[in-house]
Amino acid sequence: MFQRKKFSVILVVMVLIGSTLLAACSSDKKGEPSASVSSPSNSATPGESASPSPSADKPKEKVTLDFWAHWGSTTRRPIIEKIVSDFNASQDRIFVKYSFQPFGEGWTKELAAIAAGNPPDVIIQDIFTVGQRAEKKQAVNLSEFLSKDPSVKDRFFEQLWDTVLYNNEPYALPFNTDTRFLYYNKKAFAEVGLDPNSPPTTWAELETFAKKLDKKNGKRYDRIGYHANNAGGWDLWVQNSDGKLLIDREGPHYNSDAKVEALKWVKGWDDRLGKKEMDAFKATFGSKQNDPFVIGKLAMTVQTGTFFAQIKDFMNPDDIGFAPVPEMKPGSGNWTFGGGFTLEIPYGAKHPEESWEFMKYMTDIAAQKYWGQYLFDNIANKEAANDPDLSANPVYKFATENMKWTLISPVPNNAPDYKNIANPFIEKALLGQEDPKSALDKAQAGVENLMKTTK
Amino acid sequence: MSLRQSPSAGRRKTRLSLERKEALQGYMFVLPWILGFIVFTSGPLLFSLYVSFTNYDFTSRMDFIGLRNYEHMFDEDPLFWLSLKNTAFYVVLMVPLTTIASVFLATLLNQKIPGMRIFRTVYYLPAVLSGVGVYMLWMQLLSPDSGLVNVVLSWFGIEGPGWLFDANWTKPAIVFMKMWSVGGGMLMYLAALQNVPEQLYEAAELDGAGVFRRFRHITLPMITPVIFFEVVTTLIGGFQIFQEGYVMSADPTTPGSPMNSLLFYNLHMYLKAFQVFQMGYASAMAWFLFAIVLVITLLNMWISKFWVHYEGGDGR
Repeated sequence: MFQRKKFSVILVVMVLIGSTLLAACSSDKKGEPSASVSSPSNSATPGESASPSPSADKPKEKVTLDFWAHWGSTTRRPIIEKIVSDFNASQDRIFVKYSFQPFGEGWTKELAAIAAGNPPDVIIQDIFTVGQRAEKKQAVNLSEFLSKDPSVKDRFFEQLWDTVLYNNEPYALPFNTDTRFLYYNKKAFAEVGLDPNSPPTTWAELETFAKKLDKKNGKRYDRIGYHANNAGGWDLWVQNSDGKLLIDREGPHYNSDAKVEALKWVKGWDDRLGKKEMDAFKATFGSKQNDPFVIGKLAMTVQTGTFFAQIKDFMNPDDIGFAPVPEMKPGSGNWTFGGGFTLEIPYGAKHPEESWEFMKYMTDIAAQKYWGQYLFDNIANKEAANDPDLSANPVYKFATENMKWTLISPVPNNAPDYKNIANPFIEKALLGQEDPKSALDKAQAGVENLMKTTK
Repeated sequence: MSLRQSPSAGRRKTRLSLERKEALQGYMFVLPWILGFIVFTSGPLLFSLYVSFTNYDFTSRMDFIGLRNYEHMFDEDPLFWLSLKNTAFYVVLMVPLTTIASVFLATLLNQKIPGMRIFRTVYYLPAVLSGVGVYMLWMQLLSPDSGLVNVVLSWFGIEGPGWLFDANWTKPAIVFMKMWSVGGGMLMYLAALQNVPEQLYEAAELDGAGVFRRFRHITLPMITPVIFFEVVTTLIGGFQIFQEGYVMSADPTTPGSPMNSLLFYNLHMYLKAFQVFQMGYASAMAWFLFAIVLVITLLNMWISKFWVHYEGGDGR
């Protein structure tokens, strides 16, 4: 009897513990779901407004928005937090709380939050896959809001606005972007007798200049002039050749004649400089302080505008020249490509009206200008990008002008993982294990098949 | 009190309640686990089984499509077979090598020489470290030009491969990395080795058996149960390899690169689930992997009858 009593006591205790745990879980869910994550530096008022008692004592109830982005570094976080607090100070209806989410992780979390019906209010998302989220009901259709503010759409560079459209309706607002162009070391140019003020304009020139700039010491290179795949990427040159992206809304465009030529040309750099040497060379890339361009081991490179901000402290800015990406042949165009991020309202968010207000602010001149000024990012707002304060910096001015050569397009909804299908063929071609023409044909067929079979 | 009144009946009753008590206590001990399983695991498990027959994408649809996902897997997705091949290659290479390495290491660390505790600690240490930090470290070590591995190889006149940049060497590179952290298995073997009765060695020595034969005919058979356990768990763990392919890829924008050589089964599944949002398809992949691992484990258990030696005598 005694034993059994003891047992039932234990059982009761366990059940109690179990139910308390469950209750704790469920009450957690009902309460404040995402508020625990962040620690906003703003000392503003209604941070804990989600408490059960409706704050009747406050004159006007402020709406608190949860804003997620992956900007957490010491350079980016202060800027985004400043913009958010400027917005909070600019009006008294909406309070935005910034939550830093590690890159990629925040998007997975968003997905779970949407599925659970409790997403953040605004999120920074990937610019290439807006359509996918539109189709999957992960992002809110903004047409209704846009019809009230039709001028908003004119703010943006056209190719950026195009990325946020799905079935001709917007599901996001572009926030920032990037563009790639040629950087060259003026000192190295002068050293080998090239004019520091006339960078290469065509592929042929790029190659001639690069050969002059190569500096070999025995078997190893002390400096290489340029290398197409390591200091730009095969994808850049292949897309530069005919000004058509490898993949856009319509589908893949891998195997045009120009692209086949371009891939052959890219491989030519390895053939001339040695594949093994260049692989070893590439492996030393990576850290900013050790960047081959910065330490003088690479005389020319193709990089984004932010690269300048990263290297200006390690190099004399007067030694850095910049120019559009050289064109395949005169007249073919200085094409380059870009990426970027958008602002979206996750599907099921509670305050879309207020979120739209905040997104408008984020893409308006003041916020955009601030972002561009301090981070050297290309911004989505055309007028802000051409602002005299920003244009005062020659690199920034140049990066903005380069937008006219910058290709950006959404990736088809049924092929977001096209790279895993296509890239191996091209890598094979670059290794000399496959003919460039047949590699690009296979890549094209592979991605077409992926689109056909992904439902 | 009733105990005293009729001793025989009382004894039976006590025994009964003792048995019951024991059983109940046993259930009590496993209860938290069972509760956890029912509340947190079995639900999602069954859900994913159902989802594997739908076109579920988290947010917009969940329609029953029968075996369509499985058809897609076998007929239309070239990366499915590739990722399965990659994973199988890795498992086949990794399991024997790490097993041999940890048995070998455990044997060495079972010698009675001064300072052995320090050696044991040193060899076990890498097993404590885990995750992305270790991968970063190895990406440095395996760097083709300046990495320590190739530098050391060059001292012997060997030109090291490109490791993580060469599709032929990526999987061996990861197996190599795994060999470094065999400490966990080693510890199990060490414990098993210490349990081998000393008198067996003494008897064998009297009969004139050398070091090798003693190892072959006494040590190995005596530790086969642990080897069996380790092989089964390492194998299951091996099939689940994911992070290495995700983190250590040559091109960070294409997980599994170069040339999809690190596109392991679980990585492919993850990309299908969270990049393409084909959660139904990914669930189907997960269940297929479960089937593979189940079959291999059953096979293992059957084969174990022929090589695993249990001292208990009752064949268990």
